[in-house]
Amino acid sequence: MNYIDKLLQSEDLVSPGISACQGCGAELILRTALKIMGKDTAVVIPPGCMAGAGVVGWNFDNGLKVPVHISLLDNTAAFMTGVKTMYEFSGKDTKVVGIAGDGATSDCGFQSLSGAAERGENLIYICYDNEGYMNTGFQRSGTTSKGSLTSTTPVGKVIKGKEQNKKDLPMIMADHDIAYTATLSPAYMQDFVRKLEKAASFDSGFRYLHIYSPCPTGWGTAPECSIDIARKAVQTNFFPLFEVENHKYTLNLEVKNPQPVSELIKQMGKFRHLTEEDIQEMQKMVDRKYNKLKALAAMSQDN
Amino acid sequence: MGKIKAVTGNTSAALGAALSKVQVVAAYPITPQSSVVEYLAQMIADGDLPARMVQVESEHSAMSVVQGAVAAGARAFTATSAQGLALMYEPYFRMSTLRFPMVMAIAGREMTSPEGVWGGQQDTISVRDAGWIQYYVENNQEIIDTIIEGYKVTENNDVLIPVNVCYDGFFLSHLYERIELPEQSEVDAFIPNYNPTHYAFNPERPMALDPMTPGDILMEYRESHLQGMQNALGVIEQVDKEFEKAFGRSYGGLVEEYRCEDADTILVTMGSMTGTAREAIDAKREEGIKVGLLKVRVMRPFPVEKVRNVLSGRKAFAVVDRNVCFGWNTGALYMEVKAALGSLGEKISSIPVIGGLGGADITQKHFMQCIDLLEEVKKTQVEHKTVWLKKEGIA
Repeated sequence: MNYIDKLLQSEDLVSPGISACQGCGAELILRTALKIMGKDTAVVIPPGCMAGAGVVGWNFDNGLKVPVHISLLDNTAAFMTGVKTMYEFSGKDTKVVGIAGDGATSDCGFQSLSGAAERGENLIYICYDNEGYMNTGFQRSGTTSKGSLTSTTPVGKVIKGKEQNKKDLPMIMADHDIAYTATLSPAYMQDFVRKLEKAASFDSGFRYLHIYSPCPTGWGTAPECSIDIARKAVQTNFFPLFEVENHKYTLNLEVKNPQPVSELIKQMGKFRHLTEEDIQEMQKMVDRKYNKLKALAAMSQDN
Repeated sequence: MGKIKAVTGNTSAALGAALSKVQVVAAYPITPQSSVVEYLAQMIADGDLPARMVQVESEHSAMSVVQGAVAAGARAFTATSAQGLALMYEPYFRMSTLRFPMVMAIAGREMTSPEGVWGGQQDTISVRDAGWIQYYVENNQEIIDTIIEGYKVTENNDVLIPVNVCYDGFFLSHLYERIELPEQSEVDAFIPNYNPTHYAFNPERPMALDPMTPGDILMEYRESHLQGMQNALGVIEQVDKEFEKAFGRSYGGLVEEYRCEDADTILVTMGSMTGTAREAIDAKREEGIKVGLLKVRVMRPFPVEKVRNVLSGRKAFAVVDRNVCFGWNTGALYMEVKAALGSLGEKISSIPVIGGLGGADITQKHFMQCIDLLEEVKKTQVEHKTVWLKKEGIA
């Protein structure tokens, strides 16, 4: 079955009436991910956009049609570990899936994530990366891109936007030697679905999926352009699609003639203040990261 | 009668968890609790305990893992001390407010600063309002027995509040004492395998665990939690009576009185210092002084009625605290006892006593001096200034 039929025929496990901002990448990611994971899944979502959108529930209404818990901002992977440990103890195969924003993943939640990854817990952890604490009003996170305007890295007379580089989570997670690491983009649905299925197919080990999640509200982009932006992030090599399994890095899409990163950021209000020099620096960062990834992929083929 | 063994307090705690057939253990080592984790890891490695153990990277995750496990229907266990407890405060508070039953052993340790690793009750006292039931036990036998009692209390449908079994770090955690090991079959009969009829994270009955909850509904949760605490007062007493029937030992439930019948004055204690206090009471009784002992075994829920009944009609009492209550210039137990007495407290002389912090000794001599001071103050109705138990004696 092709991925489109698969998505058409799978039950939407998100309750009716749940909706995030217009053009939200995370809502699309959540709905699609849960369609692939299926009903025998328990979901853990820390505070963030998806919890804020009511996905865990409001008053006495459930947000999902499967068990769902709003974990603490910093204990998602540890809570998941406890649930899965007891499921295994009592002979249940139910998948335990975490769906967390990049702030909860890369900052205060990183300790519990890293611990669970190091122990090789039998879990699927999905990070929707919208580059900041968007639910609370677009504050800076460790995964906010350098130069980005956020509400805590304002563009002022002296300091203009975030001064530090983005923490490279997928690379860091892959270096935990976990079972499976992959980057996904909602603009490349076939690859997206395949990677979710792949993550679901393991019967042990930690699987980490890092998904680029456009945020019109926080990024200052047009809601109807979210998929276009997600595609450009891949086409500029700003967000390359790759996967790591058995210590082997694979580039899933080698862009023949990558567009300059300026093509991506010109659509984003959060980068409007960047100078030519800033953009050149960002291009260098993109090239450096991509070359490193290519080298790792080449090394993987040699071994 | 069970087997007699010589074990440390930490081993006693681990054995209590093992006899209670816990299913998931998650813990992170910290002085003076570490050997609890080591002992359980060894039992599981040897196949003597068919539980899953998660070797977490922090106490925050230890509490989070057991929280997930209990959400999925487990009987769970963890243990910690001081800084570890402070680090896990966030999921710790949530454990009780989720009304998840479990037992956690705490080898009490003074909080930093100044830096130290030695015993104290400041760690657990500082979180006494985080919604957990808190026992403070006197010796290694009481540790193992209270862990078993604790599971029966916490899993009671009228309670469903997690339980701390607090024992003084080093004074008990590292001290070898004779204990009688309950038989597995007897423990099985006392607390059958945990089979919750209702648990939150059941894939066959999907539900949202902890959705956004507005204040008017949240208040219903809090009201129910407070009621659960009040229910626990009776359940703790009942379970201790049942324990006595099954195992031949009991601890008075919420409080234990020692030689109080005709006492003019009362020493109030909590934890391992109680054993030393008993010796001092015996010695002073030899001298003809009518002094008794009130051991407070349960700090949360606070046994208001019991404390009031024991102290009512006495001439004076002293409360010895191995902790401080910042802002009150006393220890916490003193403050709690005074609150329990209400206007009755105005008719009884009282002495707040603080000692034994950071592993300092509380000696029999200290208690003898406290009793002497009680004899002086009992003639008037006064609240004595706070007394500190120093190396050279009381001051």
